[in-house]
Amino acid sequence: MSGAILPAPSQRTATTGSGIGMSAWANMFFVLPYIIVVVALVIAPLFLGIWLSFQDYDMLGGWAGGVAFENYTNLFSDRIFLGTIRNTLLFVVMTTPAFVVVGLFLAITLNSHLRRHAVLRSVFFASSVLSVTVVTLVWRLVYLPNQGLLASVTNLLGLPGIDPVTSETWALPGVAVVTVWWIIGLPMTLFLAALQQIPKEIYEAAALDRASRWATLTSITLPSIRRTIVVVTLLEVILQFQLFGQALLITGGGPDNRSRPMVQFIYETGFRDLQVGFAAAASQVLFALMLVAAIVQFWVGRSRDER
Amino acid sequence: MKIQKVFAALLAGTAAFATPAAAQPKTEITFARFFGACEADYGNSQDVAHARGECGVMTTLVNLFNATNKDNILVKPQIIEWGPYYQQLNARLSAHDIPAVAVMHSAQLGDYVRYVEPLDDMLKEAGIDAADFTPNARNAVTVGGKIYAMPWDTHSWLWHFNVGLFKKAGLVDAQGQPIIPTTVDEMIAQSKQMKERTGKNYIDIATSTPGDFANSSRSFYSWLYDQGGTIFPSGYEKADFKSPEVLAAIRPFELLAKAGTITRGLDSGGGLSTFLNGEAAIYLSGTWRIDDFLAAQAKPDSPLHEGYTTRVFPSLFKTQTVWTDNHTWVLPKGGTNPAQHKAALVFIKFLWDHNADWARGGGHLPARQSLMAGYAKLPLRNFIVELTNYGKALPHEARRQFGFQSMIGEEIANVINTGKTAEQAADAMQERSVGLLRGR
Repeated sequence: MSGAILPAPSQRTATTGSGIGMSAWANMFFVLPYIIVVVALVIAPLFLGIWLSFQDYDMLGGWAGGVAFENYTNLFSDRIFLGTIRNTLLFVVMTTPAFVVVGLFLAITLNSHLRRHAVLRSVFFASSVLSVTVVTLVWRLVYLPNQGLLASVTNLLGLPGIDPVTSETWALPGVAVVTVWWIIGLPMTLFLAALQQIPKEIYEAAALDRASRWATLTSITLPSIRRTIVVVTLLEVILQFQLFGQALLITGGGPDNRSRPMVQFIYETGFRDLQVGFAAAASQVLFALMLVAAIVQFWVGRSRDER
Repeated sequence: MKIQKVFAALLAGTAAFATPAAAQPKTEITFARFFGACEADYGNSQDVAHARGECGVMTTLVNLFNATNKDNILVKPQIIEWGPYYQQLNARLSAHDIPAVAVMHSAQLGDYVRYVEPLDDMLKEAGIDAADFTPNARNAVTVGGKIYAMPWDTHSWLWHFNVGLFKKAGLVDAQGQPIIPTTVDEMIAQSKQMKERTGKNYIDIATSTPGDFANSSRSFYSWLYDQGGTIFPSGYEKADFKSPEVLAAIRPFELLAKAGTITRGLDSGGGLSTFLNGEAAIYLSGTWRIDDFLAAQAKPDSPLHEGYTTRVFPSLFKTQTVWTDNHTWVLPKGGTNPAQHKAALVFIKFLWDHNADWARGGGHLPARQSLMAGYAKLPLRNFIVELTNYGKALPHEARRQFGFQSMIGEEIANVINTGKTAEQAADAMQERSVGLLRGR
């Protein structure tokens, strides 16, 4: 049976010597559907977006010709857009470490075969399956000024009121809290998977050496899941740069533009104000920022590995 | 052979149970609208006479049409929240996923005129008499001399009063009706008196999400028009937010915020419940809330039971003018085949014939002149029936009116919620208007 599955010697060496042989070309057909989808839905829109960013294109008015770099120069003199860059970077800085630290804490705490831990893992993951609309409806009730849960709790405790909807200081942290609550399940699950890959023998050896819990964590656990930490960080950086629904539905980007993310700006400029070329230019800036952040993160993680 | 026999038997069975309706499939037309979804209350109702509120009337009208039309037409509603409605419509038009019939505010018609069918001849074909349009409605749907939509109403901006709180605050006249302020100073003095005597906010307005920003911009436009002001003094390619009239139209919000007599940070649900729970004296909203509040007033346990009334958004300046807009029905180009096109005309004729139901349950002024006298006899409508004479809207030449509405509303929300001054808000509006009018 197995002999029938293995390729013939001549086929196995088909890609050497004179170049790619027939069977290798045939193999290409297996990835062709994926390549077609990626080209049609990722590569082509990417280049179309870059082209659009140099055009004066109104969604209803149509194309009015090329404008060279005018969309970009207008973008960088637009106070609202510059505010969205600040907000988005701040949001990534607020949430990414939170996802790593809280996700890791939950994973380490719940990494056992106990039934109650299995239940808790499900509970912490459950919010991830909710849609952004449901999540924001719930949290708008929490944040409702003077009447919401947060206002009731702070009043009860005699604390100064925190009002994320109307406070320029608390708006973005308010959205960050919602986001971490909503999708903490994914990093927790990734960390749990990584923790379960660490050989138990190492922990047994550490126990024999009477290593403290802290030493076990810092010398065994964290180094063993370093690659997962990098993956989670990369993933969250990329995801959180794309903040949109929570901010739009909880604060509307306000007050005074203090929680408007770049994606909301792109959405409003393109779909509300109809300026598709201008919105495409903003999209390219977001793409560049995400690319730089991902490369830096990847490079930092790789450098540590090499050291 | 065996398969062929089974297939033949299936065909025979199907033919035996076939009905005339199944033999002739219905003509389906899509119907894009906002006004909310209320299937739980009105999912199967065809009792239009007893439907209340915009959603109730609209849902019931579609149910009635689907059940009673003789042309085998099925209207399939596509319900979208009003806040992102136009963004979604833009995306649908770009993707050629075009509805057969769509609701559109007349304020948006100028931007969409290339994408909707001119209706002069079609209205005649459908049996709709354009001579019966009110002057306000005719003006609203006419662009460059052609009619591009069937008008459905005129709606406007009101103050909804909790009369009980006004009585408690000593702000009623001899007839027990709220005293309407006529200047900014009077309004601020009233608001402080209300707060002192009742502990409640004077003005209740939703200002936190993009769908709420229209509330403050409608108020702004009304107070601007009251002074004879405009944001387009020199053509529609450049806006001016530096005029004294603009500052004077923003200033009342700044003063109310400083006095602490206006609600802050509420979304539309929060704003509505604040008023219905008796926590504020005046709710800023439109004609579409009248029927809802009349229904609340009728309940013995409602804080509005002691009294509810409404007035056109009051002028605090020299003349009475008020922002108006219109709901209209458009037939987007490319949304129908010939059979669907015919069906769409039958449907809008049905709506035209039920314009009085919309005016009663939806609260708005009818688009038909012949219905005005009857409308004036409905509860509280005597206070607002004249507004078509002094209501005002931006002309269709003004581009991107939705963007202006959102931008102005957001900046005024900043005045209310963050303590920005009127001058700071006007500066921000000026700066943002340049971006809005950029490009073609």
